[in-house]
Amino acid sequence: MAAIENAHFTTLKGAYDTETMEATVKVRRYNPETGKSRFDTFTVTIPVTATVLDALDAIKDTCDGTLSYRKSCRMSVCGSCGMRVDGGAALACKVPMRKFVEAGHTITVSPMGNLPVIKDLVVDMAPFWDKIRAVKPFLDTKNADTPAKEWRIDPADTALIHKESLCILCGCCVSECNSMEADPEFLGPAALAKAYRFVGDARDKDTRERLRDLSGAHGIWDCTRCYFCNQRCPKGVDPRDAIAKLGAESFKEGFTSDPGAKHAKVFVDSTYKGGFLRETELVPKTIGPANAIKDIPFALQLARAGKVPNPLSPHKAKDNDEVKRLWKLLEKEAKGQPRRATAVHPDAVQEG
Amino acid sequence: MIRHDVIVLGAGLAGMRAAIEAKRAGVDVAIISKLHPTRSHSGAAEGGINAALGNATEDSPESHAYDTVKGSDYLGDQDAIEVMCREAPDDIYELEHMGAIFTRASDGKLAQRPFGAAGAPRTVYSADITGHVLIHVLYEQLIKYDIKVYEEFFATKVVVDEGRCAGVIAWDTQKGGLHAIEANHVILATGGVGRMYYGTTNAFACTGDGMSLAWNAGVPLKDMEFMQFHPTTLKSNGVLITEGCRGEGGYLRNKDGERFMVHDAPNAMELASRDVVSRAEWREIADGRGVDGCVMLDLTHLGWKKLKSRLPGSRELAMDYAGVDPIEQPIPVRPGAHYQMGGVDCDIWGETMVPGLWAAGEVACVSVHGANRLGGNSLMETIVFGRRAGQAAAERVFEQGDTGARIEPAALADEDRRIAAILNNSEGERPGVLREELAKTMYDKAGVYRTGEALLECQEKVHDLRERAKTLSLDDHSSVFNTDLTTALELLSLLECADCLVTSAVARKESRGAHSRLDFTTRNDDQWLKHSLNWNDGGEVRLDYRPVTITKHQPLARSY
Amino acid sequence: MQERYAYYPGCLASLSQKELDSSTRAIAKKLEIELIEMPSVTCCGAGDIHEAKPDYYLHISARILGQAEQSGCDTILTICNVCTLNLRQANMALQADAAVLNRVNDNLKEVGAATYQGGVDVRHLLWEVSAGEGYDRFKSIAVKSLEGLKVAPFYGCQILRPAKILGFENSDRPESLERLIMACGAEPIDYPAKVKCCGFPIVLAREDVALGELVQPLEQAIDAGADVIVTPCPLCHLSLDAWQRKAAAYSGRELGIPILHLAQLLGAAAGIEESELKFKRHVTRLSPSVKAKLQVPSVVGTKV
Repeated sequence: MAAIENAHFTTLKGAYDTETMEATVKVRRYNPETGKSRFDTFTVTIPVTATVLDALDAIKDTCDGTLSYRKSCRMSVCGSCGMRVDGGAALACKVPMRKFVEAGHTITVSPMGNLPVIKDLVVDMAPFWDKIRAVKPFLDTKNADTPAKEWRIDPADTALIHKESLCILCGCCVSECNSMEADPEFLGPAALAKAYRFVGDARDKDTRERLRDLSGAHGIWDCTRCYFCNQRCPKGVDPRDAIAKLGAESFKEGFTSDPGAKHAKVFVDSTYKGGFLRETELVPKTIGPANAIKDIPFALQLARAGKVPNPLSPHKAKDNDEVKRLWKLLEKEAKGQPRRATAVHPDAVQEG
Repeated sequence: MIRHDVIVLGAGLAGMRAAIEAKRAGVDVAIISKLHPTRSHSGAAEGGINAALGNATEDSPESHAYDTVKGSDYLGDQDAIEVMCREAPDDIYELEHMGAIFTRASDGKLAQRPFGAAGAPRTVYSADITGHVLIHVLYEQLIKYDIKVYEEFFATKVVVDEGRCAGVIAWDTQKGGLHAIEANHVILATGGVGRMYYGTTNAFACTGDGMSLAWNAGVPLKDMEFMQFHPTTLKSNGVLITEGCRGEGGYLRNKDGERFMVHDAPNAMELASRDVVSRAEWREIADGRGVDGCVMLDLTHLGWKKLKSRLPGSRELAMDYAGVDPIEQPIPVRPGAHYQMGGVDCDIWGETMVPGLWAAGEVACVSVHGANRLGGNSLMETIVFGRRAGQAAAERVFEQGDTGARIEPAALADEDRRIAAILNNSEGERPGVLREELAKTMYDKAGVYRTGEALLECQEKVHDLRERAKTLSLDDHSSVFNTDLTTALELLSLLECADCLVTSAVARKESRGAHSRLDFTTRNDDQWLKHSLNWNDGGEVRLDYRPVTITKHQPLARSY
Repeated sequence: MQERYAYYPGCLASLSQKELDSSTRAIAKKLEIELIEMPSVTCCGAGDIHEAKPDYYLHISARILGQAEQSGCDTILTICNVCTLNLRQANMALQADAAVLNRVNDNLKEVGAATYQGGVDVRHLLWEVSAGEGYDRFKSIAVKSLEGLKVAPFYGCQILRPAKILGFENSDRPESLERLIMACGAEPIDYPAKVKCCGFPIVLAREDVALGELVQPLEQAIDAGADVIVTPCPLCHLSLDAWQRKAAAYSGRELGIPILHLAQLLGAAAGIEESELKFKRHVTRLSPSVKAKLQVPSVVGTKV
């Protein structure tokens, strides 16, 4: 080992030197004891590399120790510090302050949405965890003969649930879920992405039951496709895509009785028949003829404005036979393939 | 009064694994954790988990044990190491059966990657997010087994009644208020203490709470002077940049652009072991060849394709937290405190000297890591020894029934007065001020390189800080989600652990593993092949020693 | 802005939202851009087929992209958010992976359909006229100033999110509609729900949930003083317009705010006549004062 020249230790040169900047942050406060909310604005000196979380720490250490928020890993893996920055949910530890300071912009930090606020930026995550619990979030091999070693899984099959496996349960997707805002009972993007993580797992044998439950009330067909979840997710999980995959899997299993599934089926059937959507079939086939009759006054309003196309001569695309042939080809191809990935018991593998 | 058979403190990998095992055994177990389980720092582990499965090449638990003993610089207890290495494969298979999403080889088996100082590719992994995958699979099992979690409860005291563990007193952070939670068995699984250092890879939560609880309950802390430093951490916030960057061909350069590892490890170069690289970096910086207190991790020659495909996570961290895109610029890095090899003294079932008080994971010192931990062994330790502690505590419940240990109302009242005094105080200094002074002192004077003189200065400073911390000024005197209070409590834990660390470091006049002294540069087995024990003697640290357990491998010079 | 586009009106503009198609054709003529017809295209797959039968969706979208390519155009012009997202998403999947593209093309070939080489972009009318040369060209035809008209922009979801597929502008703080409203001489009205969901995708399957979403932009735009709402999406339009009375019943207050298609607003500023803009095809009728502010010629007596 090469000798060290500087045997006497004081501070390493440059160890604590940092270029700093002055940042102003507006914070939504909530005091649970008085039940009152307000905005406070703080100006702090922080390193140029500081994140929103670092700015909050500087506020707590030097301006106001009563400011409350959650934090832990500060490297976007623990999921503690989800909050809204200028209205959009994000991990505070992943958002750099520098761009705001350079733009002369004062950010506003507030708690995540769709969850009750406990204090300042801290929300009550209990409803979030309840929904995770509701999707039976653990592997169920249905008492399959447990092997002495690992299940064998094709690497391509583990890739099917790669994105969903990245989820850190931070709640940023749920914060802005438009459907959950209107239906607080909606399972929501995080729980549904977690559900797909098991539906798509080659070892899980509870797929049918999972899909049956998920395709019912407050499940996958509640999603309004606002795509806020994909936009906000700090880990690239793309929960909306997971929900779409659950839809496709439940179609494979024949769970198509939910109005949402029926709605989708009208689109599929319409393109097969004539290339385009048949709007007039959408209402009765989605909500059923009885409910459609109840909605007749509504239909008449639409008809008066010319919004009800003639059901007897639907709009048809040219050369739609191509699409019909395509449909048949793909259905045949799908039939020849296993419905989903399956793990193999090591005892069943012939070692070559 | 709340009462359970077994209480687990902490909900990282070791804690959850312990609770699952106890629950399976049929006892009433609950977890108390200051964080929601998936927020635990185990989730930040990147590289992998070691077990001699032999999936890639031939391997054996004996070979794993040998590598671990040698890596520990012979300070690891060989009986404990043998247990871990023997039981590791079945624990891995069980994690796989629970649903862990490990990376697979083309034959569908678990893939295994080579790691530093390992004789075979032994590290099972999930890309570069192994800890994340494991923390989530164990959380899934907590739900499956319906295990009660006192979430965001901060344990302030382990109560000992007539020499036996009686339970825990904990502060409910969400609602406020102290609760006595009785249990004849308490398993400490609260993780590490990296936050006593300024540069650290550890989360804010890693404040040595469990070490402090055990120390105050009369259990010694063992081998605390051995803090592992990771060579590539970011200056801005200490975030770890994986060894994979050097594995992919990254260079370490000083301010003159020189690849300085040529002086220290001309063959292995940047891929020499962690302690060797950390020491070389420290020397470069101390001798004035650093750049703003850092050396440069240069990946620019790897090309953007490789960086984007193989090291996307590291690139993102560098861009987020150092403001540099490694495709174009080198990343400033320096050594940062990473892992505490020492901890709560316990046996190979995790039991401490206080009957009913157990420990597992980083909080514990069994000891399997000795003076230096191998990459991939910490995750394995959490699973093996977490399971064993859960199993052993449950067995004890069945054997003994109720031991009769109780938390007397007076004990709760005393603790209530202590916490209230901290909560209501507005005199003195802010916790953040003291925390920063401590962290800088430790980083400067009890870091990668140590000298007797610097360590004594450090010790004096720690004593001064412990004195000043007797009155901490809080801004927040409210009860709901008062993080000013928990920050103050964490500071007290950090200070006690720092005192233990520096006291045993002053005494250990040799260089072994992570404890590298410029005034005693060689390992001295005649005098120092022994564990340091730090006892709590009226609040002061009292030192004591115990021999190392050697079964098969006599100490040899450690060279790679 | 291109000289010619492969024009993809999608399903609704051919059906219940015919006024969108006629307005678009009229404004294209004024802008002197050529819209190339693709007579054999089908539905883009929308979110529904995308969800139920993802592989089928990918193929029918590839067939549309292929037809555009064979018409000699390098850009498809869309006038619907859902078409924009779904066609772009399919396009990205096909362009990113040669194996996927080859498999889809093999299947298309087998059924005798147009194959796709990966050379087409999909862009919404909003993007083409709100920036660059297209914006200048629109400014030059916006001869009427719709002064005094307060317009609430409603973007809808699938022209903003996910930004990695759409990415035309900041998805939280978009400005393109505001820029066009100002180019028309009208006044843009700001309100938080302008980037949120209209509820349309689930308005039949989960009417209450959808109405809970729909009332937000309607109420907020009215409360902010808007005369009309303008949207670039015919699905949002249908939701905001046709379901407005149900939304009023849900929220228990009077609503009654007219909803314009983007092409109608642009058309009004360009002096296009009612016979092409067809405001009468809206369920929520224009009030006389709004009609006056829109200054559309020969509003009375036009055939629907």
